[in-house]
Amino acid sequence: MNSSIYSRLAVTNLKNNRKTYVPYILTAALTVMMYYIIDALSRNDSVGRGSLWQILSMSTVVIRVFSVILLFYTNSFLMKRRKKEVGMYNILGMGKAHIAKMFLVEMLITASVSIGAGIAGGILFGKVMWLLLLKILHYDVNMDFAVSGTAAVYTLVLFAAIFALTLAYNLWQIKLANPVELLRGGSEGEREPKTKRVLAIAGIALVGYGYFVALTTEAPLKAVQLFFVAVVCVVLGTYALFVAASIALLKILKKRKNFYYQSRYFTAVSGMIYRMKQNAVGLANICILSTMVLVMVSTTICMYMGMDDILTTRYPREFEVTSFYPDKEAEEKILRIIKEEAEKAGVEEKDIMAYHSGGAATVKKEGAFNIAVDEDVYSGSEDVYELVMIPAEDYNALEGKDISLGDGEILLYNPDADSEKIGGTVKIQGEAYKVVEELDTFSLEEKNSSRVINGYYVIMKDEELIQEFLNKAYQMLSKEYSQLDEIKVSYKVCLDFEGTKEDCRKAEAAIKKRIKEEVPQAYCDGREIEQESFYAVYGGLLFIGLYLGSMFLMATVLIIYYKQISEGYDDKERYQIMQKVGMSKREVKRSIRSQVLMVFFLPLAAAVVHIAVGFKVITKLLAVLNMVNVPLFLTCTVATVGVFAVFYAIVFGVTAREYYRIVG
Amino acid sequence: MALLEVKNVRKIYTARFGGNQVEALKDVNFSVEPREFVAIMGESGSGKTTLLNILAALDKPTGGKVCLKGRDLAHVKERELAAFRRQNLGFVFQDFNLLDTFSLKDNIFLPLVLSGKKYDEMEKRLMPIARTLGIEELLEKYPYEVSGGQKQRAAVARALITKPQLVLADEPTGALDSKAADELLRLFGQIHEDGQTILMVTHSVKAASSADRILFIKDGEVFHQLYRGNLSNEQMYQKISDTLTVLTTGGARHE
Repeated sequence: MNSSIYSRLAVTNLKNNRKTYVPYILTAALTVMMYYIIDALSRNDSVGRGSLWQILSMSTVVIRVFSVILLFYTNSFLMKRRKKEVGMYNILGMGKAHIAKMFLVEMLITASVSIGAGIAGGILFGKVMWLLLLKILHYDVNMDFAVSGTAAVYTLVLFAAIFALTLAYNLWQIKLANPVELLRGGSEGEREPKTKRVLAIAGIALVGYGYFVALTTEAPLKAVQLFFVAVVCVVLGTYALFVAASIALLKILKKRKNFYYQSRYFTAVSGMIYRMKQNAVGLANICILSTMVLVMVSTTICMYMGMDDILTTRYPREFEVTSFYPDKEAEEKILRIIKEEAEKAGVEEKDIMAYHSGGAATVKKEGAFNIAVDEDVYSGSEDVYELVMIPAEDYNALEGKDISLGDGEILLYNPDADSEKIGGTVKIQGEAYKVVEELDTFSLEEKNSSRVINGYYVIMKDEELIQEFLNKAYQMLSKEYSQLDEIKVSYKVCLDFEGTKEDCRKAEAAIKKRIKEEVPQAYCDGREIEQESFYAVYGGLLFIGLYLGSMFLMATVLIIYYKQISEGYDDKERYQIMQKVGMSKREVKRSIRSQVLMVFFLPLAAAVVHIAVGFKVITKLLAVLNMVNVPLFLTCTVATVGVFAVFYAIVFGVTAREYYRIVG
Repeated sequence: MALLEVKNVRKIYTARFGGNQVEALKDVNFSVEPREFVAIMGESGSGKTTLLNILAALDKPTGGKVCLKGRDLAHVKERELAAFRRQNLGFVFQDFNLLDTFSLKDNIFLPLVLSGKKYDEMEKRLMPIARTLGIEELLEKYPYEVSGGQKQRAAVARALITKPQLVLADEPTGALDSKAADELLRLFGQIHEDGQTILMVTHSVKAASSADRILFIKDGEVFHQLYRGNLSNEQMYQKISDTLTVLTTGGARHE
């Protein structure tokens, strides 16, 4: 055979299948574009090698994996539709080698168009994305943007490989099949499925367990660990439920005669049962993807919008200086530097608090606190308590009181608003102490309910007692702290500044600089100076959240579209028969609407339920990231779901129309 | 009054871009009385299918009119057309046109469901018909689980369940083996005896010979008709064969 005939055949094939190939090429091009943009961004020198870079390069991995799955998935749709055509060629005398050649040419065309358009689009829109990123990050620094050759080459190689893989898959499929099977291709697996009881029960159990964990976990650190278990359970359970329970549900609907035998549901219900085997996994995919999009977008938006709250939670005071090896001289120097620089910048210090403290993570067991080893801390158990010990002298200075404690006497303060008093005596690392009083207020930390780990402030007789405790801790943990000679009682100064934002920032920067130079082993933390790095992290996360969110949304939309289109082709004959028997165009339209509606909104409804149940555990996770503004998160979630639903409704409209056009 | 009246029906197909005009039906006239069993015969291309589509209100004639019980089909509004077909006409097709997604029972119920009937009523109507057609045992089965003859019997049940004025059958025995075809024709005869008006389009002499009257169509016109009178099926068979021979060898028109 003449070799140019393959290219002509390939072009004709693509043209004839444009209803399915145009969306495929479009998706591929968009995926290429999105990959290129992120890859180019992460290679940009101005991004540096900080947390933003980490976020960006992590998401390139996500997109890489996702691209493979998405392109394979859509390709399998195309192949299924085309099996008949391939069988026809085969019967008409084209050998499998010839068909392979034709497929190769087709794939070359598809791949070069999508990769070419994708990279071109990426170069065009890369700049826009870059500006958007800068805006989100609040970077006013002059960061320049350049077209990245490395990224382009890398993208090209990656996607060429993906396309080659899908081609190999397609050829393998053709090699396996015989012509008669190929001819039947489109109408495989069409038999009423059986109800799978075991799978349905497993699904209910998995989702139930996931929900149970999500609803009952109180401790944030525990939530971090259990969250992934719960997510895996719910994901697996969702698949099981969609595969098994959906069929069971439809069969129940079918048994309810007065519901089933109505023109609106009759054809839709029976049609769905009939094809649920193929539908179920697709619907579950859509449900999981939607849930992912919604969670990702709502949390990142919430964290970004709640940045001020996060900073306030993370840094209750505007500015903090901590010295780890304090002596009289260093302490005086710190206070002097703060005073001098505040004056220079024209801001006023407010509510200065200075105190000594020592502390360690402990495990509480039957009224005794014992120093925790790493495993205890990582377990996320609710029994882990952070003890902060403060000498009575400093306590008196902070609170304006005059108390004195004996060797075995302490005051206790639990900042958790819901805590109960323990009273009596407590044991701390073997030593028994009498609790003289449990405080109701303490100016270092107000009573609140947003703590990530539990904690106690312990007021002790003097610094020496605290140092003794620290020595014990050092001995126990010396392996991990081997780079330190000892752990000492540290000295902390915290305060707020009054003045313009600009002046405050200047003062903080100057203090930070001088303390670093003049006081050894002392560190500064401040809301204003940390803000930039917070924007880098949370802004980066928001950017990626929106970016991946839109990518997943695209995938969701595409999967639904393909599903409905290929179903439309399958249903064409059925609807023609029904019209012959006396179904009017209007009834056809209505029946299609209710069928497409079920397919669309079942997964969305499931996604919304997942999110509603997961809401609490997600707020716990956000608490770990210092985000404790629950109403804000609620607003973000509701808004995100709303926007998503609007998008969804639009796609629903388009798909239903397209479906009707195919069928009618 | 005749149940179905076909007067001067013409149908001209025009190719989409001007071009050729094809006259599928020239001038068709005939009527069907209530409780009559009429067969229409003709070769491929004689206009049988066009005529049937017009009778079924699936297509509109270019000229002339078709009246069912005195009502002109051209005057039925587009919106009511589907309902009109459902209520007045029953269809039996060559390839059964059963839906694989429904059990036989649900396939039979389909037109009633579309009419919004209650389930109890549907059940009530189904049982006598299923008994007559001998498919009581098969109702819960799916089309792919039963034989061609059984499928066609289910299709007949679907046509009858709406109690139509007229059953239109398009080559009902076309896809059946001879045994199943005989059985179906026997059933048609029985239904006819129970008072159902049937109009059947067919190629098969055997099928046609079970009718009261046979219309022969050639080149878009009713060319000839035969009445059964007191003849047996075998005698009818012979008569039809003779007529067909005359028709195909181009005999002169005689009535």
